[in-house]
Amino acid sequence: MKPVAWLAGAALAGLIAWWAWPRGPAVPEAQAAVQRGAHLALPAAPASAAASRPQGSPFTDAALRERLAQRDLLLQRLERARQTLALYRDQTRYPHESRPIAEHPDQVHPFAPIRESLPLRFPGSKGAIPGVRILTTQDRVFMSGEEVVKVSVSAQDEAGKTLPLLITRAVAFDLPDPRQAAGRPQLALDFSGSEGVYSAQFQPSRTAFADFAGTLRLQVTLSQDGRQGVINFDVVYQSLVPAEWGAISDRVADGSLDFVVGLNVKQAGRYVINARVDDAKGQPFALVSFNEELGSGAQTAHLRVFGKLLRDGAPAMPLRLRDLQGFLLLPDSFPDRAMLARREGVVYKSGSYSLKGFSDAEWTSEERNRYLAELGKDVSQLEAQIKPPGQ
Amino acid sequence: MGQTVSRRFLMVFGAALVAVAGASFATNYSLWVNGRTGGGVAGNYADFTYWGPAGTAAGVNKKAVNWDGYSHISDKNYLVRNALDCYCTGTNWCYVAAHSAGDLMIGYTLAMYGGSARYKKNATPGSDGSCANSDGTTQTGWNIKWVDVAAGASGGSELANAGDWALSEPLVSDLKTGTARAMYDHNNTRSKMFYLWAGAKGTLYSGVLPGQDDEAVAYHSSGGVSGSGGGSYCNPSDWFCNDLTLGTAPTEGGTAKWANHTVVFRDDAEAYNHYTNGNWQGTVGLVRTDMVNYAK
Repeated sequence: MKPVAWLAGAALAGLIAWWAWPRGPAVPEAQAAVQRGAHLALPAAPASAAASRPQGSPFTDAALRERLAQRDLLLQRLERARQTLALYRDQTRYPHESRPIAEHPDQVHPFAPIRESLPLRFPGSKGAIPGVRILTTQDRVFMSGEEVVKVSVSAQDEAGKTLPLLITRAVAFDLPDPRQAAGRPQLALDFSGSEGVYSAQFQPSRTAFADFAGTLRLQVTLSQDGRQGVINFDVVYQSLVPAEWGAISDRVADGSLDFVVGLNVKQAGRYVINARVDDAKGQPFALVSFNEELGSGAQTAHLRVFGKLLRDGAPAMPLRLRDLQGFLLLPDSFPDRAMLARREGVVYKSGSYSLKGFSDAEWTSEERNRYLAELGKDVSQLEAQIKPPGQ
Repeated sequence: MGQTVSRRFLMVFGAALVAVAGASFATNYSLWVNGRTGGGVAGNYADFTYWGPAGTAAGVNKKAVNWDGYSHISDKNYLVRNALDCYCTGTNWCYVAAHSAGDLMIGYTLAMYGGSARYKKNATPGSDGSCANSDGTTQTGWNIKWVDVAAGASGGSELANAGDWALSEPLVSDLKTGTARAMYDHNNTRSKMFYLWAGAKGTLYSGVLPGQDDEAVAYHSSGGVSGSGGGSYCNPSDWFCNDLTLGTAPTEGGTAKWANHTVVFRDDAEAYNHYTNGNWQGTVGLVRTDMVNYAK
């Protein structure tokens, strides 16, 4: 907003707020309405608006209602501005790279298979076959090098009872991509069944797709009691494995606990790495991450458990680093990543440290200061617009 | 005494002048990130073809962050980063609005690049949508206050799963529920709140899209529900399906929403579908109102 317009607007809003400001308990009522979720509707006209209008008021009833609506909007803007500031201030007590695991509910077990419940149908049909759900699992989407994807499929009725199922066709093929030569032959997939659950593995590096980079679709045609449908599993494959994991150590640095993860980087670039931190009892505690540029050769990625997070959460020591994963981010391309091999399970245990040895100071940074200043300014400016002169 | 008073007056006056001078360089912008199908010219921030008439109010200093709505998210992400660099660095701040796959686009941007060093730009874009550096310095991430999302597709759509949408369209494979949810950590918004509007006027694909839907995405996505796709979430009037709750609370049944995702609007009257119809319609119309009222 241009400064002249802002100053004029602020002055006008201040005048309106001063004139329209009710004496008495109206403000708490308006704020309560905001909390209830009242949403920007104009207040209804009073039964006898003329009678409620202050004597000598230069405004019509409609103008009064308009000013009240504007004041309500200001209050709601103030409420959102306060929420925005409070959220930011509260969450950034810890850095973005060192978070309570509770904030990341679907990242606690990143290698658990993706489970979905899907209708039995063919594409293009508006409806699905009633009474049949197809349950699928897939243990990864993004994969590189020698990785293997495992998938499974089964059928259930609405009560959860497994239904007989036939796989009539299962093939792997590449999805169209202008960067890839088209026309690679489809590959047949082998599914094996046990108690109604069929599973298969697919390793692109051992197939004609070894040098492929893009989306591979595993397409399965199903027949449940003669009723047919199709299920697709997609994986995004990139043959490049950009780095190898090295040794892990830990150390106290800047009042925090750093897990120092060694890497032998074959291709330099931005690496995105994360892992879970469990306490000594195996309770998930934190998600730690790294997202920075690395050069080639021997490198380290520091996964920091922030001091205040340790002090506030007081996990039982020693801490366990679990389910380490990472990839090289390939900007503005597809696939957008080349994966490192998964490190599943507990990959490292820290030393046993006294929690008092860690800092309980909140995170500080230029980024946080910038945000708190701007979001705080928004709140104070709105408060100034709402606050009547002289109060 | 008099000297003290006048010195204090000068200090206050000087501080006020500094504040005004600082304010004169600070501008707020409203960035609109489109979804599938696109339509606007990439890099032309005045082209609101995807949304509706460009003359319609849609937040302070509105800018259309156009991408083709066809390519992979990662392929066209530079267009969003260009826009954020232009308008959301230095002393400038942004509000972001997104529709459908635009949700996947902005979420991916923040999770992957939200902590990267960004050159501060001059907010004067060239024809390709990029801006020149302002003073040669960098900052960490972008200046974004919050994000409004209409019919968010960051959780994917079952219409992409089974092949209902064209296989030849790269974006469709990104929108497969398993792929969209594995693409990045949706909880990592770098402490920006995502306000969600979820429509439910879907009828054509009720056998395909679980729970309530707006004819393109189901509540599990537009309501920011974490975990695997395929979950059925409904309006409270449906007794046989878990409710999509308002706010940040877990759904009925206990599934958490992604962190910093709050449902502002659940379409209990089943009145809003997915589509803008080139006229700011569907849940986009509700988001537009929110941007007008709050993005100042």
